Amino acid sequence: MTDQQGITPTDGGTTETVVGLGKGLDVGTANLAAAVQNDEGGITVNVERNAFLDIPSDVYSKNMLTKLKVPYVVHNGKLVVIGEAAFELANVFGRETRRPMADGLVSPSEQDALPMMKMIIQKILGEPSQPGENCYFSVPAESLDVDNNVVYHQGLFESLINKLGYKAHAINEGHAVVFSELADSEFTGIGLSFGGGMANACIAYKSIPCLSFSVARGGDWIDKNVANVLGVPRSKATSMKERGIDIRDPQSREEEAVAIYYRSLITYVLENIKARFESGQNMPNFSEPIDIACAGGTSMVGGFIEVFREEFAKIDFPIPIGRIFRSEEALTSVSKGCLVAAAIGEE
Amino acid sequence: MESVDDIKEQLAARARTATLEELADQGRRRVRLIRAEHIAQMIADAVNHAVQDAGLLDPGQVDALVEKSRAEFHDAIREREEQLRVARVAEEQLEASEQELADVQARFAALSHELALARSELEQAHGELEAARQPADGAEAPQRGGTASPDSVRDMAAELAALKANVAQQGASTSGAPASSVDVAAALDKLARTLNERLDTFGKKLGVSAAVGGDAPVDFGGMFREDVDRELESNMGDIQTKQRAGGGIADNLAKLKKLKGGE
Repeated sequence: MTDQQGITPTDGGTTETVVGLGKGLDVGTANLAAAVQNDEGGITVNVERNAFLDIPSDVYSKNMLTKLKVPYVVHNGKLVVIGEAAFELANVFGRETRRPMADGLVSPSEQDALPMMKMIIQKILGEPSQPGENCYFSVPAESLDVDNNVVYHQGLFESLINKLGYKAHAINEGHAVVFSELADSEFTGIGLSFGGGMANACIAYKSIPCLSFSVARGGDWIDKNVANVLGVPRSKATSMKERGIDIRDPQSREEEAVAIYYRSLITYVLENIKARFESGQNMPNFSEPIDIACAGGTSMVGGFIEVFREEFAKIDFPIPIGRIFRSEEALTSVSKGCLVAAAIGEE
Repeated sequence: MESVDDIKEQLAARARTATLEELADQGRRRVRLIRAEHIAQMIADAVNHAVQDAGLLDPGQVDALVEKSRAEFHDAIREREEQLRVARVAEEQLEASEQELADVQARFAALSHELALARSELEQAHGELEAARQPADGAEAPQRGGTASPDSVRDMAAELAALKANVAQQGASTSGAPASSVDVAAALDKLARTLNERLDTFGKKLGVSAAVGGDAPVDFGGMFREDVDRELESNMGDIQTKQRAGGGIADNLAKLKKLKGGE
């Protein structure tokens, strides 16, 4: 293991702390987030939405986008707006954004999106501080409920990040949550990442991952179902969900739909975790209660952790659980955990 | 067509019998004779003429129609018999398939039972391994995967092989009951095969496999070189991405280092 932090003495005999090397990258279905340590002792996370929207290309549009500081790329003769701006534009025009990833993995139907993703990742990661700087990126675990394979997804991003001048390493998304949120429990407990495409779980003991798995439901599943029942585009359902509702106390028919599917998602995740524990395969034994840490953009909705605790109380969980809490930085927790791994040189 | 006998009966019913002398007394010296067969033919002719004049089918056509109907009837009978034969064959096949399904289900139940036994033995071995490890190193994390180690799994397989050899040896030396020892050996063989398959599956999940190689990371870079290496026109250089500040990771790093026995 190598620690990439260092202290450099100056001529006056005082010391100055060099910002630690290593970067963490959360490769999410809905958002891409890159974390780096800053010189104030904290971390800076660059976040960009993982979506794009193509519009007809002409000089007027190009100038307008540049003037409005809307990021775009010219690809195959079209202007492709990328990131958050694509999402906002899609809502204005009543269109759906195109997504490079689906269900937690790179989408095989969006091969054209690879250059877009490269641009977004290059933008948020920036140049490496030194050639071969460690960059730990998150990958999902294989799913319990769908037949997927993460080999291609992992290999693709490993190659892409290596091409940017970094030394890429993959880390399980749930494990990253353990690194970022369970330091006070000696990195022992359950890390849950509720992302756009998947919910990932990792059970760890003193930072060692014992069991990792995922279920292929996340924020996108909620958006799809809410859009279906309300008859609106999915982008509209996403913005409804993200504008600040409380799923314990929905105030309208739209919010009611969001609350119903949120509860269904939480129940589904908990039942699958319980079933996995009870299957007895590869299960560790915990003599003391362990904590559950929730993170991920999908967990940011108001009332999430309260509803989670309500649903958890209804099931007979096979191991003793202590605290159930949500990260205070739920959107950036995975990238922060990746950064921890990069900084400590974890494999 | 009326039969000749019917004609004779009809004529007899309507005729008067007279002797030759009576006819002679009546002045009849000569009489005309006609046979019943001729009368029958005359009737038939008359009927045919009448049918023809009425526009109905002539006898030839009627005969042809009757013959055609007879032929169609025989064809229908043959077809029906063929359908019955096919249905009987299908029924027999269905019965055979149902029997096969029942056999397979019984075998599945038996193998499931054996799998459950093998699983419980593995869990027991895992428990023993954990118990053996704890006094040796209390701070050591449970092995990735958390079940029986490859060593204990191999020990179980070796023990089973030894048991098989023992039974086979006993069977060879016992002259009184060779059949039962063969049965036991066969049952052990079957259990060993099932256990081996299950161990192989568990081994793969633990990262222990009979296969070699395959651990080298796969480089997919060549697949999208054209997409990723190409420089695209964009204004991304002028755009600031959204930044969020987060809590530091110094505390996390310190605790991790301490956990791993660092400074």
